Amino acid sequence: MSRIGDLVRIAAIGLPFLLAVAAAEAQSPPTAEQLATQIDALKQDYEKRIAALEAQLAVMKAKPAAADEQAAPAPTMRSGDNSFNPAIGVVFAGMVSDFSEDESEGLPGFQVGHESGRPQEGLSLGHSEITMSGNIDDKFRGALTLGLHGDDHGDEVEVEEAYVQTLGGSGMPDGVRLKAGRALWTFGYLNEQHAHADDFNDRPLPYRAFLDGAYNDDGLELSVVLPGELYSEIGGGVFRGRDMPFGGSESGREAWSAYGRLGGDLGRNTAWRLGGYVLDGAAHGRSGGAHEHEHEDEHEHDDMANFFSDGMFTGDTRLFGADFRLTWAPTGNARDSELILQGEYFRRSEEGTYALQEPNEECENDLPNGYGHNVCEPHEESEQLSGDADGWYAQAVYKFLPQWRVGARYARLSPPSDAGLGYDLSTISTMLDWTNSEFGRVRLQYNRESLGSKRDDQVMLQYVMSLGAHAAHSF
Amino acid sequence: MKRTALAAALAVALLSPAAADAEVRILACEPEWAALAEEIGGDDVVVHSATHGGQDAHHIRARPSLIAKVRRASVLFCSGADLEVGWLPVLLERGAGRILQPGQPGHIMAADHVEVLEHPTVLDRSLGDIHPDGNPHVHLDPRNVSILGEVLADRLSRIDPERASAYWQRLISFQARWAEAMAGWRARADALDGMKVFVHHKAWVYLLRWAGLERVSALERVSGVPPTASHLAEVLELARNSGAKAILRAPYDPENAAEWLSGKTGIPVVELPFTIGGHPEAADLFSLFDRTLALLEEANNRS
Repeated sequence: MSRIGDLVRIAAIGLPFLLAVAAAEAQSPPTAEQLATQIDALKQDYEKRIAALEAQLAVMKAKPAAADEQAAPAPTMRSGDNSFNPAIGVVFAGMVSDFSEDESEGLPGFQVGHESGRPQEGLSLGHSEITMSGNIDDKFRGALTLGLHGDDHGDEVEVEEAYVQTLGGSGMPDGVRLKAGRALWTFGYLNEQHAHADDFNDRPLPYRAFLDGAYNDDGLELSVVLPGELYSEIGGGVFRGRDMPFGGSESGREAWSAYGRLGGDLGRNTAWRLGGYVLDGAAHGRSGGAHEHEHEDEHEHDDMANFFSDGMFTGDTRLFGADFRLTWAPTGNARDSELILQGEYFRRSEEGTYALQEPNEECENDLPNGYGHNVCEPHEESEQLSGDADGWYAQAVYKFLPQWRVGARYARLSPPSDAGLGYDLSTISTMLDWTNSEFGRVRLQYNRESLGSKRDDQVMLQYVMSLGAHAAHSF
Repeated sequence: MKRTALAAALAVALLSPAAADAEVRILACEPEWAALAEEIGGDDVVVHSATHGGQDAHHIRARPSLIAKVRRASVLFCSGADLEVGWLPVLLERGAGRILQPGQPGHIMAADHVEVLEHPTVLDRSLGDIHPDGNPHVHLDPRNVSILGEVLADRLSRIDPERASAYWQRLISFQARWAEAMAGWRARADALDGMKVFVHHKAWVYLLRWAGLERVSALERVSGVPPTASHLAEVLELARNSGAKAILRAPYDPENAAEWLSGKTGIPVVELPFTIGGHPEAADLFSLFDRTLALLEEANNRS
């Protein structure tokens, strides 16, 4: 990856340059004239300070007269978390769901990962989360989030996030933050937030197809909030390349990202934000990796489409993203009533090889237990294909009573033209949720999913409850 | 090589502090602290308030414009005691520079400097969104406003020593006017001594204590969760023979529960400004207290 090489070179050359400038400023010897002006400046400074102290003394002297009106407090300093223990939070999210189609068609033309398939039908635990976070010292903050997933194949624990980041007092220039480890990196709107904070039970189609739910690779990211009347932020990162849309990292630094964001207010009660993002890197044998291919019997779909959904991808992939969000609270109080409009557009350009392992049907019947694996290898087909595809969603959520919200979402995906499907995938969703307090929410959602030949009507009832420390949500 | 040098130059330009601002920028979390900052800072400061008079400062979003404001501010002036816990941590982490971090001169939390009331004895979320550090609405005791004025003058003179004497002189002027006004308010409050009131949310404890009013009960049984029917039935029982003169609510509190209780009992609902901009006549700190006392007097004299 020559681009990453460039980044490293820029950093290697730029840093000593900065240090040299700083050192030169500190070391130049003063002339007699400079000394004279310095003494003058000191004199003026002391005169000002004396004036200030005199004024302060006047305040002190005036005090006893008003003493009977003063409450006499003992000034104290409090720290946020009461003690030095990390803040601990637990999120519970369970679901009951019903689908009109017994089998999911997957995402024709796209790989289906762990997080991008249809949820389990019936009663299921879904995702639980344990988060521990706190300030490490005056310069760093750390957070660990473990995701607990359970399904019929067993329970598993996943490190969703484990990162350290610099704090405002770290000595970095103001507005600069460096974050390292595994994190939900900056890409689009939803990616940075944990799924339990979403406004719908499931992630929209572009997130499922392009990011397998969310991009939380290993890496580091630098972001800079620029000084200006308008909110503007730029940033970028370097990543290992182990997570969708990459996979099978060979060098350990296969991917990079860059982004820019703008935001502001419209009047007193409306806020907006826009962003543009790019995520670029190489994949070496990326596969969907879902537990099961529920659509194995549908191989007659289309031969080329199977390469995209079941094949292993090796090549370069680049994802562009754009997002917008607008919140409007008629009285200024989002707790009473609020309208949120949100949308994102993703475009993937991808060039490489899709390799498909076809089961060797002749051998399958006479495979003895434990033998025959080497003899009867599935034969592999591979195709050089373009995976260019795009997708978007738009949603509106309206809080009509302090504890009740309704929402609607439309999501659409255009599969790669090389898949030869000739149709788009789409989902229409509506939801109604009830929020008892900031910490407890129950949501009913209906999806009409058209991902292939059939229409899947889905009804889901989900609860999201959080216990203990609860991170402040960003915009 | 050329490209590298250009990139380095660009990085220096973007990362170096913006050309020294003429004024000290202050981001206040609530309008009352913005007003106090105007009194002490005068023309030497630029003040923004994160919330307006119609907003409940518990529940706003860490919206992009606030990140931009905190990025350039060198003083952050808030109530503290977790009032802003839903959004201030994001600002401190995302845009705020070193000078605004806890323990630094630019970090002023009012509750750190005055006596805080209503420290909860039990910490359990079933009791609602309670504040472990006590009731944060400290500004409605005028003595606290005076204390915070002095804290601010001290911090400003450390951050901007060039103009330290101007800050102290404005404080002297403000405290003189404030002491005079307080003497007048004290006399008016004494006439209200013992007046019984209901409140929607427990946001008034400092005002009630200073003015000598008695809180019979709050309509919200659980802070931050709308009043329940069963609790309102209990409140109604309490209200019937209480002799209460008013049901107090802030402009952002929902009307329905207070109106219901008023309809059943005849006790008038009194919407107090709560902060600057909470009523058109509450345009600064002085008129905020004038208006508040006038509304209480009116309710007290009604029957």
